[in-house]
Amino acid sequence: MPSVLSTLMLLSVLLPAVGNAREVRVEVRDPKGEPVADAVASLTPLDATPVVQPPAEPVSVVQEGEEFRPHVTAVVVGTRVTFPNRDAVQHHVFSVSRSKKFDLPLYRGEPREPVLFDQPGVVSLGCNIHDWMSAYIVVLATPHFARSGTDGAAVIGGIPPGRHRLEVWHPRARSALTREVIVAEVGAATQVIALTLGVDRRVRRAPESAGGGYK
Amino acid sequence: MKLPLRSFRGQLLLVFVPVLALAQLATWYLVGRFNEREARQQIDTSLQQAAQTFRRVVADRNAHLRTGARSAARDHQIRQLVAGDDPATLASALQSLRGTTDSSVVAILEPGGKVVASAGRGAPESALPTRLIALAEADESERPSAAGYGYFDGVLHSVVLVPVQAGSEVIAWLLIGFRIDREFAADLKLLTGSDLLFLGADGAALAGTLAVSAHAPLASVLQATRGHSALRQITIDGGASLAVFRPLLTGREPVATLALVYSLDEKLAPARLAGRYLAVVAIGALVAAAALALAFARGLARPVERLAAHTERISAGDYAARVPVDRADELGRLAGAMNAMSAGLAERDRVRDLLDKNVSPEVAARLMRGGAALGGEEREVTILFADLRGFTTLSERLDPPALLALLNRYLDRMSGAIEAHGGVIDKFIGDAIMALFGAPVAQGDAPARAIAAARAMESALAALNTELAAEDRPPLAIGVGINTARVVAGNIGSNRRLNYSVIGDGVNVAARLQALTRAAEHRTNIILSAATRAAAGRAAADARPLGTVTVKGRTEPVEIFAIDAPLSFHDHRTSPHTEPPFLSP
Ligand SMILES: [Cu+2]
Repeated sequence: MPSVLSTLMLLSVLLPAVGNAREVRVEVRDPKGEPVADAVASLTPLDATPVVQPPAEPVSVVQEGEEFRPHVTAVVVGTRVTFPNRDAVQHHVFSVSRSKKFDLPLYRGEPREPVLFDQPGVVSLGCNIHDWMSAYIVVLATPHFARSGTDGAAVIGGIPPGRHRLEVWHPRARSALTREVIVAEVGAATQVIALTLGVDRRVRRAPESAGGGYK
Repeated sequence: MKLPLRSFRGQLLLVFVPVLALAQLATWYLVGRFNEREARQQIDTSLQQAAQTFRRVVADRNAHLRTGARSAARDHQIRQLVAGDDPATLASALQSLRGTTDSSVVAILEPGGKVVASAGRGAPESALPTRLIALAEADESERPSAAGYGYFDGVLHSVVLVPVQAGSEVIAWLLIGFRIDREFAADLKLLTGSDLLFLGADGAALAGTLAVSAHAPLASVLQATRGHSALRQITIDGGASLAVFRPLLTGREPVATLALVYSLDEKLAPARLAGRYLAVVAIGALVAAAALALAFARGLARPVERLAAHTERISAGDYAARVPVDRADELGRLAGAMNAMSAGLAERDRVRDLLDKNVSPEVAARLMRGGAALGGEEREVTILFADLRGFTTLSERLDPPALLALLNRYLDRMSGAIEAHGGVIDKFIGDAIMALFGAPVAQGDAPARAIAAARAMESALAALNTELAAEDRPPLAIGVGINTARVVAGNIGSNRRLNYSVIGDGVNVAARLQALTRAAEHRTNIILSAATRAAAGRAAADARPLGTVTVKGRTEPVEIFAIDAPLSFHDHRTSPHTEPPFLSP
């Protein structure tokens, strides 16, 4: 389920000479060389303050089949996120993360209000009813980011030239990986990032319950 | 009780008692060894089982605590308190949790290991949180957790660590544990029957069921073995005990040691009691065996001594004495054999007595030695008959004592002459002499000896007559008849009185020949049969033929010969004599 954004990025890779669109392709691999999906790569200009424009409409993280979809969502600071429940059972979505604590006690359908993520940071989502439900919202202070697909590639486009801090985060990485990169005036660059992943701490669903998996 | 070693009793004891004692000692020793080995094995088994029981008890309690901790970790209020900024409330919540889970310590740790809040005894030792978190993070199971041992305020605890999660994010760790203290040790002893002691990593005693005096020996053995070890023997308060050691690990880190102890002395006590009984029984058996051996030896020695005494009597010549045969065993047979021997000896003695009286001592000795058959047998014998002439006249002239003295004097001289030539006096019949040559001991030259004896008798008589003349007494005269014939020889007589003698026609012939010497026409004192002359060879070379005579009782005429004496003897011939009364046909 590649986002529209990454589809555009992918297109820009195919058409490198269009306008002043500069892009960085980040390939995320584990130590064995296998591609790592759901990694969030972001570039933060070091010599300028990035201008962040949150989207007008809230971003959705849905609950369906007693799972969050998507598992990882990257947004800019100031984005509102709504958590529609498409299941017959109620959910109790919450976060106790430092950058954003919230609590949406048991509800059906659309919650009353979207949640505003006004601090950069990683927010871990859980459901108080279903221990196995788990999702992340990565709140960024830069508009230049992408999430890796199943091929492990995250392509970030529309980057102003100059020095940037490349930051790659993954739920199972112990900490975010940072690296300084320089984006040239023209053309694409590829950064290969190796991430050591910890144990998947997502709680396994109880075997009685139907549906599912972790997708 | 005197026990001379050379006596039968002494020897029996010397052999029997040590063998029995050795056997008893060996049995006692072997049984003791077997018991001890068995006890060691049993203790080993029970200590291993005790170690397993300990692990099981700890695992069970850990599982119980883990369940409680997991339940608490997913509690939304706890999660919010953990994420929140109110450690006092969190600590209160933990205190509640400690109560519901019946645990000793509960603590919330930051993901990095720092203690956020805790309930119960003090703070964990500094190394414990990170150790446990590392273990839990390495646990790739569906529900990660860690368990181990650690110290809270110096007190050993068994602890469990579970994550507190928000979604898949570990926001904290919940640590929960129970005390391993004296009470726990006492419970474990009830379960396992073994004594136990928990020792710190430095060997210091922490908690247990053993007295303080056991701590140092256990610590020193632990020092020597370093943790896990097989069965070890230790001495506590002078008593032997066996111990096994089990390290208590957090991950691979040895945190403490469990020593499980079982008293060998206690285990062996019943066997040792049995051993003491056995020893008493053994000593009793030994004493009984010695007494029995003594009694048996006495039972054997008494008759043996009696037999020995009897033998001494026999060797002293008492053949009449008899040993009572009062038992059926070998000793009884020996007594019977000795009695038979006494009877045999008495019989032999009697025969010898008879021989001594009837034959010359030499012949008797030779008979006894050579064992010549005294039973009846037919053999060739030369028989000599001698008779004193004119005895009747003499008896009228002498008083009885003088007559007997003269007769004995005469018989003595004649006997001497006969025995000097190897003859055997068969009997004296009044003044007559019957002598045998070639019996009972065979002599090749018996006839020649008989003739020589007859000549010697004549010479002896001449000598005696010279003496008698000097005493102013009338001279004596003899007639001698010699015959050689096959006769029956043997002991003749009653059971009380036996005579070795010969019987047969040849004996009568000899007597007749003697009677013939009275016939004046023969002019001789000695008459031989033709058989004697022929058998005598050269000894009878000078025999003068007298022609043939018809001997009374014999149909065939007999050729006879005379042995002439020196002339002077013929002068002494006297009137005809009556025939010997015993030779009547
Ligand atoms: Cu739910």
